[in-house]
Amino acid sequence: MEKLLSVDEFVDFRRRVLKKAEDETEGLTLVVCAGTGGQASGSNDVIRVIKRYILDHGLHEKIKLRITGCQGFCEMDPFIVVEPGQHLYPQLKMEDVPPVIEAALGGYVEEDLIYHEPGERRTYHSQADIPFFQKQTRTILGNNQTLDPIRIFDYVERGGYGALEKVLLNADPERVINEVKASGLRGRGGAGFPTGKKWEMGRASGKPGEQKYVVCNADEGDPGAYMDRSLLEGNPHLIIEGMIIGGIAVGATKGFVYVRSEYPLAIKHLVIALRQARELGLLGDNILGTDLLFDVEIVRGAGAFVCGEETALIKSIEGEAGEPRQRPPYPIEKGIWGHPTCINNVETWANVPVIINRGAEEYARVGVPGSTGTKIFSLVGKIKNTGLVEVPMGITIDEIVYDIGGGPSGRAKIKAVQTGGPSGGCIPASMFDLAVDYDSLAKVGSIMGSGGMIVMDETTCMVDIARYFMNFLKDESCGKCFTCRKGTQRMYELLDDITKGRGTPEHLELLEELALAVKDTTMCGLGQSAPNPVLTTLRYYRHEYERHIYDKKCDAFVCKDLVGAPCQAACPLGTEAWRYVALLEKGDYEGAYRVIREPNPLPSVCARVCNHPCEEKCRLGTTGEAPVGIRALKRFVTDRADPAAYAPPRAADAYGKKVAVVGAGPAGLAAAHYLSLAGHEVTVFEAEDKPGGMLIAGIPAYRLPRDVLEREIAALLDDNVTLELNTALGRDVTIDGLLDDGYAAVFLALGAHRSRKLGVPGEEAEGVYPSMRFLKAFNLHGESLARGRVGVVGGGNSAVDAARVAVRQEGVESVTIYYRRTREEMPAYDEEIEAVLDEGVELVTLVSPVEVEQAEGRLAGVKFIKNELGARDASGRRRPVAVAGSEYVAPLDTLIVAISEEPETEGIAAAGLDVTKWGTLRTDPKTFETGRPGVFAGGDVVRGPDTVVEALADGKNAAAVIDRYLRGYELTIPPEVRLPEVFVAPAEVAEEEEAGAGRAAVLHLGVEARVKNFAEVDQCLTEGVARQEARRCLRCDLEFTQTEAEPEEVVAVGDKQE
Amino acid sequence: MTNFTLNGLNVQVEEGTTLLEAAKFYGFPVPTLCYHEGLSPYGACRLCVVEIGEGPRAKLVSSCTYPAEEGLKVRTASTRVLRARKMVLELLLASCPQSKVIQDLASAHDIRRQRFKQEYEDCIMCGLCVRICEEQMMAKAIGFRNRGERRSIGTPFDIKSEECRLCGGCIYICPACQLRCTYTEPEKAICGACANLAPPCVEKEQFDDMMCYMDPCVACEIEKK
Repeated sequence: MEKLLSVDEFVDFRRRVLKKAEDETEGLTLVVCAGTGGQASGSNDVIRVIKRYILDHGLHEKIKLRITGCQGFCEMDPFIVVEPGQHLYPQLKMEDVPPVIEAALGGYVEEDLIYHEPGERRTYHSQADIPFFQKQTRTILGNNQTLDPIRIFDYVERGGYGALEKVLLNADPERVINEVKASGLRGRGGAGFPTGKKWEMGRASGKPGEQKYVVCNADEGDPGAYMDRSLLEGNPHLIIEGMIIGGIAVGATKGFVYVRSEYPLAIKHLVIALRQARELGLLGDNILGTDLLFDVEIVRGAGAFVCGEETALIKSIEGEAGEPRQRPPYPIEKGIWGHPTCINNVETWANVPVIINRGAEEYARVGVPGSTGTKIFSLVGKIKNTGLVEVPMGITIDEIVYDIGGGPSGRAKIKAVQTGGPSGGCIPASMFDLAVDYDSLAKVGSIMGSGGMIVMDETTCMVDIARYFMNFLKDESCGKCFTCRKGTQRMYELLDDITKGRGTPEHLELLEELALAVKDTTMCGLGQSAPNPVLTTLRYYRHEYERHIYDKKCDAFVCKDLVGAPCQAACPLGTEAWRYVALLEKGDYEGAYRVIREPNPLPSVCARVCNHPCEEKCRLGTTGEAPVGIRALKRFVTDRADPAAYAPPRAADAYGKKVAVVGAGPAGLAAAHYLSLAGHEVTVFEAEDKPGGMLIAGIPAYRLPRDVLEREIAALLDDNVTLELNTALGRDVTIDGLLDDGYAAVFLALGAHRSRKLGVPGEEAEGVYPSMRFLKAFNLHGESLARGRVGVVGGGNSAVDAARVAVRQEGVESVTIYYRRTREEMPAYDEEIEAVLDEGVELVTLVSPVEVEQAEGRLAGVKFIKNELGARDASGRRRPVAVAGSEYVAPLDTLIVAISEEPETEGIAAAGLDVTKWGTLRTDPKTFETGRPGVFAGGDVVRGPDTVVEALADGKNAAAVIDRYLRGYELTIPPEVRLPEVFVAPAEVAEEEEAGAGRAAVLHLGVEARVKNFAEVDQCLTEGVARQEARRCLRCDLEFTQTEAEPEEVVAVGDKQE
Repeated sequence: MTNFTLNGLNVQVEEGTTLLEAAKFYGFPVPTLCYHEGLSPYGACRLCVVEIGEGPRAKLVSSCTYPAEEGLKVRTASTRVLRARKMVLELLLASCPQSKVIQDLASAHDIRRQRFKQEYEDCIMCGLCVRICEEQMMAKAIGFRNRGERRSIGTPFDIKSEECRLCGGCIYICPACQLRCTYTEPEKAICGACANLAPPCVEKEQFDDMMCYMDPCVACEIEKK
């Protein structure tokens, strides 16, 4: 490379290079991202294959290969972009590369490999159309794709060093400073100090002729942040150009790049770039023959987080331990070796050439007043599109997370984002409409920081997150300020206590007090912002802290010492699922049955209709595989084992009080059973002529065969329990009457049996049935109400139940379910939705009924309006919004309204009990007490429509409380963490077996065989399949039950043989 | 000269004077622990914090390191300062309960409870020993090592330093082990005002690691473990 000796030569050189680039037609180019992220994902393999292919086929003339730094779409690494055309082929394997090259040569797109959104079929031919790129403004980062970082000519070809040319041709530092000031550029390192102002101070600072320095701060230490790294790796000349301009403006003759040793590729590229710039004469003494003097030196940091703080960074450059010192004096007055030092972040430097090239006014047009330009964020965590995104300031978090990031990576909903790394704060999902700029973020207690954005979903525990950051900070605090060093340790200690179940209300109080004190009393930015993770989580997620402290529960299932085995913790009844699965694997079915039956009075029922929260939380499922089929295994055990294997233990001292239970559903029956075991005499009053409540009235026989249900209920009705059928509260008995009759306590478990109305005109027409009326008529009395064309409105389980019952009735032509949102949002269980569709029911989504049309008082049809998905609500789901003018009429003969159920509590309200606006009873959530002494309530009458297992748990727990009440004890039972206690030896599973095993499928009765009758649809697993399925269990319990490594066999010294 | 307001009083000090020096000069008491007149200020213990500025921009700074600025408004005993100082002392007391100096300070600031888990550390990393060794003894025999939780003071590689002249300055100036209280009830280690005059080294067996960097120590002549 020839050295350029004057500014004119430089201008001429740039013209030549640009002209040449213009003349050359855009050839076919394969662009491969080989930043650190790309290389980790295997882009080096892809590059190797491309090179080999080009060599083997002699394609040097036809194809160019450009190896670039990070392009930002790290989730899709390794990928190839084919230019021109910008076809992006993501996540390539080595064998995918030849077809891509062939397609590029042939001028077509390889449809099988081209980009498509995960889970969608639609393909995107041009990179620009991909949603990830669409909302971005890639002013800085976009260049990474267009150049090879180790080729200075690539940079010049793209207009590089044009800003420097401008500055050199009109070498007036004041003008440069004014331009930067007018652009509104603020420091991208986090604090957001106006860069132009800093430069102005730098220019004015120091004695005339005094040595000054500029520093590029590339000590990027935030966990999960890597935008500075990617800039240095992918476009080092941009940073160098920015620094030269900065040096000229401030009057500095020496620049330092302080970069961490953990960034070897960035250092390598920077070293090459500096050498090239020097060879060209852009750095060194007499730059381009002028009297300007400027050179850049690399200083490698040893990896201390605190060295990102400017005064610590200065100490480190000076060769001392990185320890911040008091400001003032600020580095701009007294920096490295006491000389004025202007420190800016990598991204800030990268913005400088852009400002000079475009002009301040043009630059300031992007962004919002007060925060101009773009900002690069590293979007990581529980997000679909992990990567670097560059967005204009002022964009909302919602747009970044959902539109660019593609939403949550898993099934769990997004709960918060953490911005600004360990010094930042957590912003809850309810505030995602917040604009991302320096001031808005500060207002909610977080900071912009260097641009880390960690997305968290519901499987993230906020207490654990705070603990994680405090653990990081207690190691990374420099240790100079006592309150930072000890304060972070103590905060960690308090948080650790809370996550381990040792938290008390005092912990919370002390934590907050300490956090504020640390924020107040420390010297540097690290200490002052260190409590932010604690303070913001306390501010927005205090309820999670309280759950950990008061209830000893971690709802995200993260804190191991509060969760134990996730399946057990997820079960409202606390069933030791791991234990019966382990016993089943050993063939001990009776043992397994005892484990199942002990906490659950209706095991066969739950084995069929439970919503299996245990499977939702199964660690096999949360780590990417299909969860263990726990419910199917329970079914296998309950079908096979003799119920007589378990005799429930009875209280030795029959206390003999009389208790009335109103309602013979799961909650009432469970309460009656456990009160009876505790030695009380129980009378169960049931309004219908059969016991079972919703189990019999709501759940159809094809899901829960009647003989199974009747047998299980009968087993609960022992000598202590009397059942009074056809006795309704309000009609036949009253609460006052019961208490007067000598009942010492009353448990109300009335359920929620009334369907809510649609609230549209014409609903009273004949042929319109509330779902509960429709289901009860059939399930209890064998009456078929559906005929002709049947419509069901709703998306929950009762809608699906109604549709499946209707399909089985005589005289039904067709059944259609109408739901206002999309299928993904239907609350009904997935397997139920699949089954109902198999049975020939049609599903129409995104419609809402607006009017019931009548003919002579009878239903003739329903007018629906179409919906589209609108803005997201707090739950992250998009709200259905009616499309004006999209009404249409569906002719129907029967309409079943199944939008929700509510309890019938009007009568009870009169008896002096407190009723909520949803019509449910208000009780103390821990003690089940209503407002009246001696009257308790649980199940759906309190919860509104909920699951069977929750009702059973309510009944069981209420029984314990009522027993305490009758014995005159304190009602509140202190929360206890139930960790696995019993050791069951693990099965030996070979690795091949582990890899090959998929979840056992439950066999269903064929559609033909089941659709016109009420035979049970789900079949029991066979023994072999069940035992195989049980072997898939990860046995989370062993962590708690397995004692230290089994003692080795002791061999007496004398017995030792050669 | 620099003019500024100190607790509402208009005061004037020479340029370069720290807030602590000014406060002392004008008679406002500010507690200190890592400060020593003969040594350069370090700002480690955070006990000397004072409040500067007004409104939302008001903040706490360590007065020993902060230079007086023209027009600055300084409060040495505002509610915010006192609250922070109490928390600093509570933390100090929890870490180093046997220090007579810390006990006296805690007692003077009405610390009546200690809510953190009790530790028995020998050092609060105030750096007085490091500074006296460097600045007054011109030895630089000891220094800080590592960071965060693992920060400690000692000689390089824990080998007896050739620079050390066994002057004993480090042990003389140490607030944590000077006049170490042997406390009768370790769990309630708030000063019972016992007059403890025995040199701490005598009871060396009770402490794992004395803050004595001399080998052998001239005070007790016990060889360091």
